[in-house]
Amino acid sequence: MKRIFQHPTESLTGKKYWRSLGQLADTPEFRGWLEREFPQGAAEMEGGEVTRRNFLKLMGASTALAGLGLAACRRPEMHLVPFTKGVEWSIPGKPLFYTTARPTRRGYSPLVATTHDGRPTKIEGNPLHAVPKGSTDLFAQSSILDLYDPDRAKKITNAGKVTDEAAFEKALEGMLKDAGDGSGLAFLLEDDNSPTRQRLMGLIEKKYPKAMWAVYEPLGEETSDVAYGKDMEVLPQFEKADVILSLDCDFLGSEAEVGTTRAFSARRKVTGPDSKMNRLYVVENRYTITGGISDHRLRVPASQVGAFALALAAQVAEKMNDAALGAAVKAIDAGEVKGRGSVPRLDPDWIKYCVEDLVVSKGASLVLVGERQPAAVQALVAAINAALGNVGKTLLGRKNTDMPTVRIAELARSMTDKKVKTLFIVGGNPVYNAPADLDWANLQKSVPTVVRLGFSEDETSELATWNVPLAHYLEFWGDGRASDGSYVSVQPMILPLFGAWSELDLLAKIAGLEKPTGPELVQETFKQIAKPGDFYTAWAKFLHDGFLANSAVKPGALTFDSAASLTFVKERFSTPATGDDVYEVVFTPCSKMDDGRFNNNGWLQEIPDPITKLTWDNAAQISPATARKLGIKIENKDGEHYEMIEIQLEKGSVTLPAYIAPGHAEGSISIPLGYGRRVVGRVGAGTGFDVYPLRTTSSPYYVVGAKVRLTGDVYKLGLTQEHFALEGRGGDLTREGTVSEYKSKPDFAKTMGMDGHIPPNVSLYSHPTLNNPELSSHPSTTATGQRVNPGWDATGWGMTVDLNSCTGCSACMVACQAENNIPIVGKHQVMNGREMHWIRTDRYFASVDENDPDPEMISQPLMCQHCENAPCETVCPVNATVHNEEGLNVMVYNRCIGTRYCANNCPFKVRRFNFFDYNQRDVMAGKADKNGHFGVFSGVYEWNLISEKGTADTIKMQKNPNVTVRMRGVMEKCTLCVQRIQEAKIAAKVAARDSAEYRIPADSFTTACAQVCPTEAIVFGDIYNPESAVSKLRAAERGYRLLEYLNINTRVTYLARIRNPNPKMPGAEKIGAAMRSHHGEDKHEAEPKEPQA
Amino acid sequence: MPEAVVTLETQKELQRVPLVTNARSLNWITDKVATIAESGTPAWWWMLFIPTSILAIVGILCIAYQISNGVGVWGENKTVGWAWDITNFVFWIGIGHAGTLISAILFLTRQKWRTSINRAAEAMTLFAVICAAIFPGIHVGRVWMAWYLAPVPNSYGIWPNFRSPLLWDVFAVSTYFTVSVLFWYTGLVPDLATMRDRAKSRVKKFLYGIFALGWRGSNRQWRHYEMAYLLLAGLSTPLVLSVHSVVSFDFATSILPGWHTTIFPPYFVAGAIFGGFGMVLTIMLPARLLYPQIDDMMTRQHVDKMTKIILLTGSLVGYAYLMELFVAYYGANPYERFTFFHQRASLGFNEGGFYNWAYYCMMTCNVIAPQVFWIKKARSNYIVVFIICMFVNVGMWFERFVIIATSLAQDFLPSSWRHYHPSWVEIWTFCGTFGIFLSLFLLFMRFLPMICAFEVKAVTPAADPHLHHPGSEEPTGPAVGVLGDHAAKEGHH
Repeated sequence: MKRIFQHPTESLTGKKYWRSLGQLADTPEFRGWLEREFPQGAAEMEGGEVTRRNFLKLMGASTALAGLGLAACRRPEMHLVPFTKGVEWSIPGKPLFYTTARPTRRGYSPLVATTHDGRPTKIEGNPLHAVPKGSTDLFAQSSILDLYDPDRAKKITNAGKVTDEAAFEKALEGMLKDAGDGSGLAFLLEDDNSPTRQRLMGLIEKKYPKAMWAVYEPLGEETSDVAYGKDMEVLPQFEKADVILSLDCDFLGSEAEVGTTRAFSARRKVTGPDSKMNRLYVVENRYTITGGISDHRLRVPASQVGAFALALAAQVAEKMNDAALGAAVKAIDAGEVKGRGSVPRLDPDWIKYCVEDLVVSKGASLVLVGERQPAAVQALVAAINAALGNVGKTLLGRKNTDMPTVRIAELARSMTDKKVKTLFIVGGNPVYNAPADLDWANLQKSVPTVVRLGFSEDETSELATWNVPLAHYLEFWGDGRASDGSYVSVQPMILPLFGAWSELDLLAKIAGLEKPTGPELVQETFKQIAKPGDFYTAWAKFLHDGFLANSAVKPGALTFDSAASLTFVKERFSTPATGDDVYEVVFTPCSKMDDGRFNNNGWLQEIPDPITKLTWDNAAQISPATARKLGIKIENKDGEHYEMIEIQLEKGSVTLPAYIAPGHAEGSISIPLGYGRRVVGRVGAGTGFDVYPLRTTSSPYYVVGAKVRLTGDVYKLGLTQEHFALEGRGGDLTREGTVSEYKSKPDFAKTMGMDGHIPPNVSLYSHPTLNNPELSSHPSTTATGQRVNPGWDATGWGMTVDLNSCTGCSACMVACQAENNIPIVGKHQVMNGREMHWIRTDRYFASVDENDPDPEMISQPLMCQHCENAPCETVCPVNATVHNEEGLNVMVYNRCIGTRYCANNCPFKVRRFNFFDYNQRDVMAGKADKNGHFGVFSGVYEWNLISEKGTADTIKMQKNPNVTVRMRGVMEKCTLCVQRIQEAKIAAKVAARDSAEYRIPADSFTTACAQVCPTEAIVFGDIYNPESAVSKLRAAERGYRLLEYLNINTRVTYLARIRNPNPKMPGAEKIGAAMRSHHGEDKHEAEPKEPQA
Repeated sequence: MPEAVVTLETQKELQRVPLVTNARSLNWITDKVATIAESGTPAWWWMLFIPTSILAIVGILCIAYQISNGVGVWGENKTVGWAWDITNFVFWIGIGHAGTLISAILFLTRQKWRTSINRAAEAMTLFAVICAAIFPGIHVGRVWMAWYLAPVPNSYGIWPNFRSPLLWDVFAVSTYFTVSVLFWYTGLVPDLATMRDRAKSRVKKFLYGIFALGWRGSNRQWRHYEMAYLLLAGLSTPLVLSVHSVVSFDFATSILPGWHTTIFPPYFVAGAIFGGFGMVLTIMLPARLLYPQIDDMMTRQHVDKMTKIILLTGSLVGYAYLMELFVAYYGANPYERFTFFHQRASLGFNEGGFYNWAYYCMMTCNVIAPQVFWIKKARSNYIVVFIICMFVNVGMWFERFVIIATSLAQDFLPSSWRHYHPSWVEIWTFCGTFGIFLSLFLLFMRFLPMICAFEVKAVTPAADPHLHHPGSEEPTGPAVGVLGDHAAKEGHH
């Protein structure tokens, strides 16, 4: 709203001041006096003539000054202009928050976007919505960068020539005019459950009933309709499950959705020794996030998971007296059960005790199967669940009412038959990722007209007739359904940056409607779904909340069709045979690139994979034993060079670096998809290796029968963590115990590692701030019972990290990157060990015997620990890193000269140095070539005096204006989001008005990493406020601090991981052993510690 | 001054070897010292100066490139924040110890043999400190803000952090450099006056004259000079010990395993003297070869004494190395033990022991190699001495590298362990400092009297008023009668 400032008008009757009455009168006497007083300038003042000489002098001087003087050296004039028309709610300098939702193939994730002056800068989960409750994932966090990607498609093109919207609309009309009943029309879409899209598809179908609708998701699920009937979505109820067995199902990682992670972790939370934790068994071929957090894990090649399921089914049938299942299992060829060739034997004990456990908690157990395992395995697992009585209890369902679509193979068939005249491809990238046997590139070329809505110029747009830029979800009006079925809104935050069209725009046009200019299409759908009485209020609430209240669809009963399923299993079940030199290749979803769609996202490229810690590339993951067999060097001294292997399959071969992955199944090779893009922006160019050509319609997940040979070449990979083992420091750094240990000794974590040996801290000197009685007797401190008050303020910021909840998903890393304007540095700098992430996720493989093929995995997020007695602060010669009154270790960029001494003296190595001017230099220029060679004077190495500086304008728009963009040569590190603290403090002070007493309400805000975390592993807050979550968690008996013996008094407390093993299981004794092995068997009682004053 | 009081009563075998052999006259000394700077430039000088100055320019270009682009052109990473830069800094600072030690401490302890080598050693000190000062100067991320290190009162009221050893370093090194320059220059004045008096060209006369500060050699001037020199020597003496102690605080006051060691100050000082003498000999032996006329002043005796100091300090350093290992073992801190027995003194050349080749290189060069000097024959064989000194130079560089790199690369959290590889820029910058050092030294040799002529004269028998025993006919004549053939042999080898 426009503000009109009412200035007080000048008083007409007030005083006027004059020097004398003469001045007031302006009499001749006065003028005469003036002349006497200022004789020099009097003539001019009198308005006397300007002499010719004086005129020339003045003009000459001013010309000289104008031409030669400073006028020419002025900085270009820049204006900071306020809005001429105020934007609703907008206060300059304050962000605005709007709800929206992001489309994914698992439904829409409800979000809140932060906008600064009309620029969306950060994404958070919608705190009002029941599914995310404020948390998000890696992809939602990084999606903001996609919006500003300078390599986005920007122009509408026809046959490669740039044209305009009008031309496209005209051409579209022409295409549709001849469409008739639509028999020549075909659509290839991505999975999306938007009701408006459904509505438009319905309209189009009415108009063109013969049009073909296909949906393709390269990482979509293998669905089988036999088990639960057609179009049933199966919804596992994690909160009800006591025992979970996952068969190659990465339900916390690549198959995760924020809701699943939340539901699962709710049953993993430990608040005290009596907490009832669930128990998780995982069977998988490679370490996944799910496997990492499991209680028991069995390494089985992906192709043998079916065999495992069969063995499991046999025992479950026997224990549960399920004759039908037993008969079905028996009917399958015995060879399938036992496996063929040299398939590693499935541990019978493992299966036996696992089944026992499942049976004990029947009806409260859950067997999950990977969504890309073959349909027969899925049906078999459904039968197992049914036998265990889980269907209808821990497994519920929901009917999917979306319009049926066909698969890409069917579309390909009609394209081969030349039935398709006009093909609309919205999103996706089939030329890159369609199954290799379809030969999609040639098929697409054979279609007369291909219209492509694409987000960027890619492989598919290269072969399309018409290319229209596709809008980002922050640019259009839309709607969708979240994973709980609730109806959510998609609001634009900004006009399409490059005149992009949304999918709905195109469908509306095809349906014969006008291209929407506002939310009218969605409003239409909203009216149908919400049936509101008062539309405008309901609509405003829908936009404000981001979802329609009470629109979630309650999961309903699920009925298992036993007869059909078991017949299906009997017919279709087969386990591929393997042999000594036959390897299985598993195409895994990339934890960062997904199916390759995020390939041009620098944040995701540089986030290390949660398991492999690999950036900018994919690699063939092989177990150490298999690698040894293949002759691949395991000891990699400089941690950079990786041997290249050639993997040969019937369909062709691919050459890529081999990566030794601890805990990987033997004879199995996992390769993440989504790399090696041929046509991609500058970020994605030259990253990784494309393995889509090996993938076919019949074997989209794994292929058995690969031949592997070493090529003799090496390749450089950029890893952020080179060292995987704990080096016997498990007890110190990562602490873990089992439920029984925890029950017998709840504070077991306090005395693990060196903490049991710390001698009393006898010092000649008292710490001026730590031990000052006056300061430590601050009333706010004693009230909370805290040990010391290191500061002078009533608030003190701290953090806890629960290792029991952290899965290692790394969403916190991107959230931090988005919040704090952290630059990416490129692969070459990562190889040099210079990545900038303020928070990192350390991942260790822990085992007592270092050659144990089954090490356990633990992830540990690590940010600045904000030591109260910080080693970095004393060594900085220029006082650039100091402690503030609230216990933060703050970094003063302006003051920093970059000696790097603080980073050296940081025991956690969390400080990051700007080795180059990453925000001014093009880190993407001058990439290392395939052999890792790097141009000596290219990219950031180009002589600074001649290189181009600056960054793309769109990238600048993403930056958080509340956080300094750092220049080169300064140190930076986690600030505990000090900008958010300040904002909260200002708000509290404003609320307190004139009172000096102000207190930020407990847990009223949090840091970016804590906010994003779907498992609430990271908790931040005021440690001196007894009501805050963090002050309670800090007091938890599981709490310990890193490197306590250094007397650095860290402000971050870690909570030890608790695992819930089944004591009968093989390998149960190994759980946590690596953390305890530090001191062998001898049990130490904590030596008395001198209480610190 | 017992060595000056040589009387006929002294037994021959107990007599000291004269410091200037062949009973050279005072005039001979002046002449020989001055002609080095006065005669035409020898061809070998150009042959040495051109490559060293090119090397210096390469180094300066590398520095310019590094300042222009950022510290990233070096090989350091998030884990190893210091590597060659601080290694080179400590290495050069260490070398800068011998000069002032020889000048100041040996002056105060009346070790007269210092006179013929002190000037060159002091010059070497200055040039080494210049090379050293380059590294902390350029290793910072924002060189143009390095003035924040200075305690300049400013409107923000921000002072440097007086708790930081790096700041102590700034003060220690700059004080040391300033005092060393003053000390060196003060000692030069009488000889500059000699040069002025002998100079033929007006330009030379003028320039030497300016720097001679009007020295006339009057009694008054000598009195003032002696007092000033004594005071400066007194001032320099604690500095010799303090500079490297302070440099060692950079490490000792930190918390890193392998750095956090109380033994560091004495061990660093011993190491610095050790390395400094190694470099003095490395420079002086070729200089002796190139200027055979100075043989009588810089005798076998000097080399012998310096090798003995190398032997002593090398053994001290070796003791420190072993004591560090013992303390790491006895302290039973797993992090300390890891650094010492896995990173440094491990036998397995596995991933953990990535740098143990450097550790063994250091041990061999610094502890084992100097033990050769127990043998008198080795001490008197210039080739052997030179080779051992090269070992010392290499070893002392490795010592600093081992301390810095092994501690940083693998400290507390295995997740952040990372090795370090130098980049070409770092390598050439280091080579460049050798270019700068040698170029400056060559210029010094060319234009200034490299031997302190007046002090050498003072230690000749001729300068001793008590020498004139009855029967001596030439007051300034050779003291051959006293020492006979032995001295003559010493002088000609």
